[in-house]
Amino acid sequence: MVEMKNVNVHYSSGVDALVDVNLRINDGEFVFIVGESGAGKSTLMKLMMRELVPSSGRVFVNGYNLSKLKGNRVAKFRRSIGVVFQEFRLIQDFTVYENVSFVLRIADQSGKYIRQRVPYVLNLVELAHKAKSRTKELSGGEQQRVAIARALANDPGLLIVDEPTGNLDPKRSYEIVGLLKEINRCGTTVVMITHEHELVRYFGGRIINLDKGTITFDETIGGNDENE
Amino acid sequence: MRTSNVSYLVKKGITSVWKNFVMSFASFSILLVSLLQISIAVLVMTNIDIIMGNIEDMNQISIFVVEDITDAQLDHIKSVLNNNADLTDVQYISPDEGKIRFNENLGEYAEIMEYLEENPVPHSFFARVKDIQRIRPVVTAVQSIDGVEEVRAPYDFASALQNIRKTFSVIVIGVMATLVLVSIVIISNTIRSSVFARRNEITIMKYVGATNGFIKLPFFVEGMFVGVVAGAASWGLTWFVYDSIFSLFTDNFTLWEMFGFFNLIPFDGVCWTVLGINCAAGALLGAVGTIISMGKYLKV
Repeated sequence: MVEMKNVNVHYSSGVDALVDVNLRINDGEFVFIVGESGAGKSTLMKLMMRELVPSSGRVFVNGYNLSKLKGNRVAKFRRSIGVVFQEFRLIQDFTVYENVSFVLRIADQSGKYIRQRVPYVLNLVELAHKAKSRTKELSGGEQQRVAIARALANDPGLLIVDEPTGNLDPKRSYEIVGLLKEINRCGTTVVMITHEHELVRYFGGRIINLDKGTITFDETIGGNDENE
Repeated sequence: MRTSNVSYLVKKGITSVWKNFVMSFASFSILLVSLLQISIAVLVMTNIDIIMGNIEDMNQISIFVVEDITDAQLDHIKSVLNNNADLTDVQYISPDEGKIRFNENLGEYAEIMEYLEENPVPHSFFARVKDIQRIRPVVTAVQSIDGVEEVRAPYDFASALQNIRKTFSVIVIGVMATLVLVSIVIISNTIRSSVFARRNEITIMKYVGATNGFIKLPFFVEGMFVGVVAGAASWGLTWFVYDSIFSLFTDNFTLWEMFGFFNLIPFDGVCWTVLGINCAAGALLGAVGTIISMGKYLKV
């Protein structure tokens, strides 16, 4: 669950990135956060990842009060969420398997669990056959799938996905969002930040629109994929 | 943290040495030169300290007794000098022996002594002061012994040696501190370049919930590993350089002995100690360099 109460983010440059934001995302929801460049989408994501603390207001994610979370507990909090970035952010020298397994090592899981869990999540994203490939040898779509597998490795309750289709062609973009929808159907809350309105219209769901740091729209719409 | 995960991180640190070979080699080279300088400096300075000690040991006080001394008084003086813990090599010189020595010193003018009716050389003692810094209280104590007329001591020599030693200690500490500081600065800059090249990896790890300890450990192992290897290599080079210098003094032993160049430390005697210290210092410098370099990239 994500909850923001009267959140303001004011940067030292003088920019008000978020102005009095109030929102609540319940467990199991799939939410698109949309808006133009500079609308505050990235700031919202940074708040949810505790990369940033609000200038005022309170942020709760997975039961953690991020406004008051001490530095030494941030690592533990981040292990409770999964994050997927636009530019994949995979370790290029690692194999696909290593990119996923090191998250489990960070969580101090046993070797036996890692050997079971990594093939399972790679199978979910249909990349089990590429486990031994170096990340840099993969296509953009495949790299994004590895990033999703890595985010799912710790079985997080919340998946935060930042512009996952930004570096992909349209076909791969639909595949990736389709995959995220599947993951959501299995019970994981998904918050996806995007500016691709066509994708949003196609898949539908709850849409939160940001404009100049303020929520201007928060509604649920039906999607075309439900009819397919 | 589980043992399996610790060993994974340690393995990761060691394999990183090869993966980042160019930066590892740069760190290795800098550590090698730094450790070589430090170990040669320590050995040379330790030997200079020994030489200073040897020169100090050469100091001798001369004790002359009154002309009409009795045998009982002489025995008393002998006994007091021998029991004085500050003195060593106490030697009694009878007037006859003293005359022979005096003649030797006079050389071609020795026949002057023939013209004297009586032997003018008094009973005397020679002794060495163990700690040159205590020369004044020792002389005062000896002077107060019944029957002692005069004590001659090389005060100027002692004072000069003390000053040299004090200055030397300050120089040693200064040189060592400078070398260590310069090494840490250069090493941390080299490691910083290595860390900078892998900043994305560090950021990714932070985003997926890695603790600072988890991220630091492989870098730490990498720094220590390079440090230990550089320590071992600098030990080999130190051996070669030191032995070359050492043989200069031992080949012409008699000449150098005059200047106190004896009892020098042979490398064989300190071989394993130097290896241990070099490897430990290398590991420490590598580790400290890593800690200094990483801080900035962990704030994500």
